[in-house]
Amino acid sequence: MMFRIGVDVGGTYTDLVATDESGRTVFAKSPSTPADQSLGVMAGLDELARRLNVSRADMLAATDRLVHGTTVATNALLERKGAKVALLTTEGHRDVVEMREGLKPDRYDLRSPPPAPLVPRELRFGVKERLRANGEVMIPLDATSLDDAIAGIRQSGAASVAVCFLHSYLNPVHELAAVERLRQALPDISISRSSDVLPQIKEYERVSTTIVNAYVEPIVRRYLTNLEARLTEAGFKGSLFVVLSHGGMAPVEEASRLAAGTVLSGPAGGMSGGRRCADLIGIADLVPFDMGGTSTDISLIAGGQASLSADGSLAGQRIALRSLDIASIAAGGGSIASVDTSRTLCVGPESAGSVPGPACYGNGGQAATVTDANVVLGYLDATAFMGGRRPLDRAASEAAVDRIAKAMDLSRIEAAAGIYRMINLNMADGIRLMTLRRGVDPRKFALLSFGGAAGLHAAEVARELEIKRIIVPTVASVLSAWGMLTSDLRYEISRTHYGAGRISADEVRELFAGLEQQAVGRMRSWFNGNIVIERSAEMRYGEQIFEIDVSLDGLDWNAADLVDRIEDRFHVRHEELYTYASRGQEVVFVNARIAAVGEVPRQNEGAREAAASGACSPRAARQAFLGGWREVPVYALDDLRPGHTLNGPAIIEAETTTVLVDTGDRVTVNPLGWLDISSR
Amino acid sequence: MSAKIDPITRSVVQHRLSSIVKEMGEAMLRTSYSQILNSSRDFSLAICDTDARLIAQADHLPVHVGALPWATIAVEERFKDIKPGDVILLNDPYHGGSHLPDVTVFVPVFADGKRLLWTIVRAHQSDIGGGTHGAYNPAATEIWQEGLRIPPIKLYDAGKLRDDLFDMLALNVRNPREFRGDLSAMLGAANLGERRLSRLFAEFGAPVVETAMEAILDATEQQTRAVVSTWKDGVFHGEAFLDDDGHGRSDIRIAAKVTKKGSDVEVDLSESDPQSTSFVNSSHANMQAAVAMAFAYLIDAEIPKNTGALRPLKVIAKQGTIVWADPGRPVTLCTSHPSNELVEAIVKALSASCPDRAMAGWSRRFRIAIQGEDPRSGKSFIWHLFQARPGGGASSGGDGWSSIGEWHSVGGLKFGSLEVAEVRFPLHFRTHEFRSGSGGDGQFRGGLGVSLDLVLETEKIAKGNTAGDGARHGPCGMLGGEDGQPHHYRLLSEGCEPRVLRTKEVGIELRPGDCLEVRSSGGGGWGPPEKRLAEARQRDREQGLTDVAAEQASS
Repeated sequence: MMFRIGVDVGGTYTDLVATDESGRTVFAKSPSTPADQSLGVMAGLDELARRLNVSRADMLAATDRLVHGTTVATNALLERKGAKVALLTTEGHRDVVEMREGLKPDRYDLRSPPPAPLVPRELRFGVKERLRANGEVMIPLDATSLDDAIAGIRQSGAASVAVCFLHSYLNPVHELAAVERLRQALPDISISRSSDVLPQIKEYERVSTTIVNAYVEPIVRRYLTNLEARLTEAGFKGSLFVVLSHGGMAPVEEASRLAAGTVLSGPAGGMSGGRRCADLIGIADLVPFDMGGTSTDISLIAGGQASLSADGSLAGQRIALRSLDIASIAAGGGSIASVDTSRTLCVGPESAGSVPGPACYGNGGQAATVTDANVVLGYLDATAFMGGRRPLDRAASEAAVDRIAKAMDLSRIEAAAGIYRMINLNMADGIRLMTLRRGVDPRKFALLSFGGAAGLHAAEVARELEIKRIIVPTVASVLSAWGMLTSDLRYEISRTHYGAGRISADEVRELFAGLEQQAVGRMRSWFNGNIVIERSAEMRYGEQIFEIDVSLDGLDWNAADLVDRIEDRFHVRHEELYTYASRGQEVVFVNARIAAVGEVPRQNEGAREAAASGACSPRAARQAFLGGWREVPVYALDDLRPGHTLNGPAIIEAETTTVLVDTGDRVTVNPLGWLDISSR
Repeated sequence: MSAKIDPITRSVVQHRLSSIVKEMGEAMLRTSYSQILNSSRDFSLAICDTDARLIAQADHLPVHVGALPWATIAVEERFKDIKPGDVILLNDPYHGGSHLPDVTVFVPVFADGKRLLWTIVRAHQSDIGGGTHGAYNPAATEIWQEGLRIPPIKLYDAGKLRDDLFDMLALNVRNPREFRGDLSAMLGAANLGERRLSRLFAEFGAPVVETAMEAILDATEQQTRAVVSTWKDGVFHGEAFLDDDGHGRSDIRIAAKVTKKGSDVEVDLSESDPQSTSFVNSSHANMQAAVAMAFAYLIDAEIPKNTGALRPLKVIAKQGTIVWADPGRPVTLCTSHPSNELVEAIVKALSASCPDRAMAGWSRRFRIAIQGEDPRSGKSFIWHLFQARPGGGASSGGDGWSSIGEWHSVGGLKFGSLEVAEVRFPLHFRTHEFRSGSGGDGQFRGGLGVSLDLVLETEKIAKGNTAGDGARHGPCGMLGGEDGQPHHYRLLSEGCEPRVLRTKEVGIELRPGDCLEVRSSGGGGWGPPEKRLAEARQRDREQGLTDVAAEQASS
């Protein structure tokens, strides 16, 4: 027996999934251990082994690959618990990161002070050196000035250094020399070099990304090294891979080097899960909709592909590495409802979190949350929550919702329905903005509902967006860990094209050939299997500053009119995204980008469930508010078998989630045992 | 409340309206062609009704938004026969515009055959014809020297583009390609808004949406009045000065007499100095916008900035003064000056009424444009200074933001990448760092301006123009805080004495290798300096933010 294991460390739970070559899939959940996540991982592996009926040592010895999504970097950044970082940069330009290109978020808030940068000014050291815009040396790197800066870094006690000089993306000569000198002087210090982390034009994005990398690198490296040692000790002889923000995975050393690329490691697993779902059920256009307690992650899979974007930031820090385009909205089951001074109802962004949690948890929470509204509306069964292990306090929900009702001069049920409506609107708007940015029409997508809270809201969110189909997979509660098992290895590299005038076909070929050689070389050092190359280019019209990433896959690379064909792809994509193309206008080729993808052989995909042998019948019925009170049948998800169908209104309950099927909607249980809901 | 509607439906409609303008902004940001729009974000979006009431807006440039209802009035007065598919265009400051480079498009929204709303996009064009590139012409003494004037016109008639008209407009600007590109983006954004609003009407029915809109405005008014009524009553005075008009007049005074009573605020600007011969005059719409902007900064950030929020505010001004020029006067500088001074005078006046809300002075705008030839390509180039963003004012909330902008932009203008600028222009940004010592001292320190040394890597003589103010008067300190350092720009040319640049110059000769030494202003300080905590002063020293001696030694 040979196992593959996916491990997703979340805020509350560590999810684990094991599969074997027969297609058997086993899940386990174990509490996360934020202080040292590897403890929770090891405990989870114990539980997984127990469910497989083998010893942990035997299970690990028979595991050839363990894929890991980690929130170590994410948490370090959110909680500001990364390393003390110093910056070496071009003299006269040490404030780039604190200037934020002159932008400030809220236009009418003139009384909130500026945020503190990750590297305070006294730890930003200017070094005498300068390159020209074409990469030539203008002022040679001055050894004395560099040594002075290094002395300052030594004195400061910084544990990590970011090195970022102007125009280094074209010519890293000074950065390399500075790194060399740093290594000699401070052999134990961690170093992140901008021409290594993000060799691209635009200094703010490069310096910010490099600083984030320096900030999280020591903690990510320590954690992964530690985990690897524990696994080895426990008998694991296979490969440990880490999921990166772009959705591919990489070995431990690479994930440590590019630690800033792991900040979306967890949600990226969810996207892999989404893509796998799209594959399994044959729906190419899917909106993965992951609603949890405090936030909802949404993304898009269009034509079977997840899209990548370099526009990201986390905790106010710009990270310009390409990552999966995932929008996190502050809306979840714990989102708090409030009434402002104009008597307008707002839901979120504040959340009751898990402590104190919604009022109905009975942990002292007084605020009315979305979960409380769901209890009042009869969608959640107070006695059956978490399989009856955690009964909810219905009276507390009612009292909390009553406070909102009073402030708005509404009845309790009207207030609860209002809270339900507003949270759904927030989430629908998030999806709509995302589809607008991607230039696609949400109506042709299906909603993939997963995460504990999604099932109660998917139907109305779908209706807001005129989405006609909702899929609820049975693996919903561990979708990320499950998805990680199908991640491929991925290594991305990009280079900025410098040159006046239009790029030539030879320049394009040379640029990509160089990148390809480098990317394939790196991938080969990790992996023996099949390598696929993805090419894309970031381009823009003359004066624009936003580049569009355009796939160049499938182009005839030897065509004489290669550049015309590339530009044509750009015009087409621009029109898709923004409704117009300006053919005849100058197209600027900015960045060439290559991804080398190491295709990992798949195991047998989701085993089919036994088909239904009879009709399904509800286990109970209860009163729920659907525009008016109605008696609604309640089904257990465990009772539903492939081939079963039922019509809304209905409530379908499972141990960790509840699904609300609206009046007129029709549920079909598909061959995988998943719910396939078509809306009216 | 006058309008009867259930509060949930109102909340839902309000949410929808604000997400629609947000989507319009997203579309605009992504599709606009010129740098001034896609990078510097000098555009705004709004929804107004046919009574010219501001229903919703996206937080882009505050100075645009308060002006849009006045533009709507001009459109409503001009056209009585608006049809679906019409698109109206205008820019003239004497027909509801603010200044000529701000071009505004209006798309009507109909429901059940009745015209109810406008989606509006206003965007600053990189050129609009006239005596100088980019419309800022310090030499102008009448509006015809500032560029092309467009009263409300129909650019589309029932869905059909009047391309002869479009050709004429494009012919009158220096970069027709950009003009066409940006206008396409504006139309795209306005049409997107129209489609989304039509769906909103279809979903709820027009009467419900109309009632909801009334209720939203009423609720916002109530919310604003609740804030204002907590301020101290009284009659308060504030003033601010323009350095000069570039045509011989100095220290031009903007005077605000503000009467606060109950939940009402009356701003009387009548005592402001007479109008000027130059472009420092304000148009009427811009003056209204500047007053609205000052008021918006003082109420809560969360209050929607719609007509309801402005109902407690009454504005009195006199035509013929610097804040409201007679027809025909040049006004191009007005969105920054005297807007910045107007805001400062009003905030200063109200600092006695709501001291914890009154922030110290944000900066004034001092721009440079350079026109020359790039020796690398032999092509001509035009470059605008967006770098060296000046400092923001401190407030009761803490120290000011550094490198953030002026009263009228407040962190909404992005200066972009220096690396990209060096690729595109024959310029070398030798230094671009915080200007230590520029922030006004106080219990909370003003944000810092920026020191920029910019070297021209040209081979032929280039020409520079300046436009702006604030080289004499720094952003004001508030409640005992000190003023920020004013702007200080010099031209360093080999073999010549360094020359201080004035804020309104044309045809400055720039020789190859010349260095523009730009020192942008810091924000004003808030509260008495002796109240500043010792730890905060220690942090400032460690970070080199207040070391004036070092700065002088290095410059």
